[in-house]
Amino acid sequence: MERKLNAELWDKMHYLFRDFNDRMVHVELHYDYEINIEALKTVLICFFEKAPVLHSSFTDNHISPYWSVKNYKIEDVLTVERPENLEEAVNKFLTQYIPPESDLQMKVAVFFHEGKSVLCIVENHMCMDGGDFKYFLKALCKNYNDYVEKGISPIDLRHGTRSYESVYSDFTPTEKRMAKNLYKNVCAKDNHKFPLTPDSIRDKSFIAKRKIDADRFLKIKQVGKKHGATINDMLVAAYFYSLYELAGYDKSESVTISCAIDLRRHIHDVSEQGITNHTAFMQCSIPERGRDIFETLKYVVHSSNRFKKDKFMGLYGLPLLNVGYKMLPHAASEEIIKIGYSNPLLAMSNIGILEADKLALEGHEPVDGFMTGAVKYKPYVLLSATSLKNVLTLSMCVRGNDTDKETVELFFDLMEKNIDTLIAQAD
Amino acid sequence: MESFIDYIENTLKDVPDEDNSLYRYKRQLFDSLTERANEVAQSGLKDEKVLSDLIISEHPDLRQDYRNFYLADRAKKKAEKFRNFLAVGSVCYILLLTVLYLGVSFITHNWAQTWLIMLGGITVLVDYLFSVGAKAIARMKWVFHPIARVMLAFNIMLTATFIFLCCALLFHIPMSWIIYLVAVIVLFAVDALFLALTKRKLAIINYLLYIPAAMSMIYVILGLLEVIPWDPGWLLMILAVIIDILIVVGIAVENSKYIYKQEVEDVWEEK
Repeated sequence: MERKLNAELWDKMHYLFRDFNDRMVHVELHYDYEINIEALKTVLICFFEKAPVLHSSFTDNHISPYWSVKNYKIEDVLTVERPENLEEAVNKFLTQYIPPESDLQMKVAVFFHEGKSVLCIVENHMCMDGGDFKYFLKALCKNYNDYVEKGISPIDLRHGTRSYESVYSDFTPTEKRMAKNLYKNVCAKDNHKFPLTPDSIRDKSFIAKRKIDADRFLKIKQVGKKHGATINDMLVAAYFYSLYELAGYDKSESVTISCAIDLRRHIHDVSEQGITNHTAFMQCSIPERGRDIFETLKYVVHSSNRFKKDKFMGLYGLPLLNVGYKMLPHAASEEIIKIGYSNPLLAMSNIGILEADKLALEGHEPVDGFMTGAVKYKPYVLLSATSLKNVLTLSMCVRGNDTDKETVELFFDLMEKNIDTLIAQAD
Repeated sequence: MESFIDYIENTLKDVPDEDNSLYRYKRQLFDSLTERANEVAQSGLKDEKVLSDLIISEHPDLRQDYRNFYLADRAKKKAEKFRNFLAVGSVCYILLLTVLYLGVSFITHNWAQTWLIMLGGITVLVDYLFSVGAKAIARMKWVFHPIARVMLAFNIMLTATFIFLCCALLFHIPMSWIIYLVAVIVLFAVDALFLALTKRKLAIINYLLYIPAAMSMIYVILGLLEVIPWDPGWLLMILAVIIDILIVVGIAVENSKYIYKQEVEDVWEEK
């Protein structure tokens, strides 16, 4: 008999985002040795069995959508190649789109090149967000190592509920009731756009990225401390300032960037949780550009502190979405939620640190790598940030043309320039 | 796979066999483990040890699983017995009822009224069967609950009809049809109780509608029975609205305790 899984609130929400992005989450990790493919296959099969949503097909049932668990062959999940042009092969793999109706929701590739390997994974955001994807990667590496080195079966992956309600699990009854009363429609209302060209059917998905070296990354931390700012604040400030310069917004205009926040901050122990989505957005607004980037930073710090002080950070709007999905059949609730929801035109996701020691395979730490969010459809953009071995990678996935590529590259140039301005006073 | 047999036998070594269900559980479990292992092996997992560990890890607590199996098995048998009892019991009940009806009718020769025995008996049986059905449906998903509510409403109206016939034909009580107005009030009360017991969300909307509706019935009944004059008896309607308002205010006051006031000010609005 066919096994069915419940489509959780965030699964449905990410499905609704199909008009704004391709919902793929990407990771690329470079190793200076050749990965043991048979061992990797074994680990992947075990993980797919532990997290059946990864080999399930999403059914958009008009009344109540669900996942149907499907049979698969590991060869359909894992691609192993020895390409002549590594960069091209990696890009081609990473920019693929996995439809939610397909039997697999995650694809993995290992590209061998000159005795080295590149591990690439693409997965559907409906299954898990960046937070759990990082956990998945760490668990993958740990299980792989234990299996190869000690012969331990690679079955140590968290499994359990995927429900959004887990965010309330550690609240007292009063707090829980308060949190479940937060019927606020949190939407980005800013109309400022990233200056991309109009949509065209010739557009193709691309991932643009820029590295900020370890020296500068450490200085960002250092200067941030001086200003009472986090790395995220520093990056958002540079993002704002660069946007004003790139798009030519008036200096006196207020601009908003939506920043992803991990709702797992509300869950003390995630060991009983299955892989899922627990991400919300906070609206980081500045009233004007500011005289210089330091004033922009001051505005950003002020804005983000408003959220940090909030006990129920990120939980606004969840009860409203829940009511929306529960009261009506799915097809009707989608239409109603679409009326009330506006996707942020400018967004940022600080995925955080990719811990090299925890991502090591057989003692080989990744020498390079990054993780990035979904390919956004114009005019929406998402800047992702990850760091590996103190090297920061800024990335933006866009479905666009060569002009858009140039615009994104110019944006990264401005980001670098503004980050340099911010860290100039480090010494 | 031998490892599955070892795992099952070792884990359930000291578990007492309840109602000869242990073997059936072990057999069912072994079959399901083997089937699952074949399914995963089809995906390409070649390492037998990993395959075995993976499948076993999906059943970490066999003792509890067996307990659940036993309880489910017992409940299933009990339900089957109950279904049989209902089927046989209903037939026996109808036969006894017929005997009683014919017996009383032949003795009293009051055929014009004794048919009420038959009707009353059937009403009791239908009420009981529908109540059992409604109870079973109430445990199902909320989308099926309207069926249970219709069944309960049918029960109330059927009972009201029987009482009405008794009052009218047996006791010749004037205005017996008022029973139907009372039945409507009972219907609202039972439906409200059903919503409360099934913890239906937004049931408050039903309560707020039922109170004025039930009060209007009370007003008509009391007016017809001349317990209260029609004027100012209509004040009962105002009373219903006041009760509704009090309920809404009470809920608002209760909810206000749970409204979270964000501890931060909006700096840009201040500017």
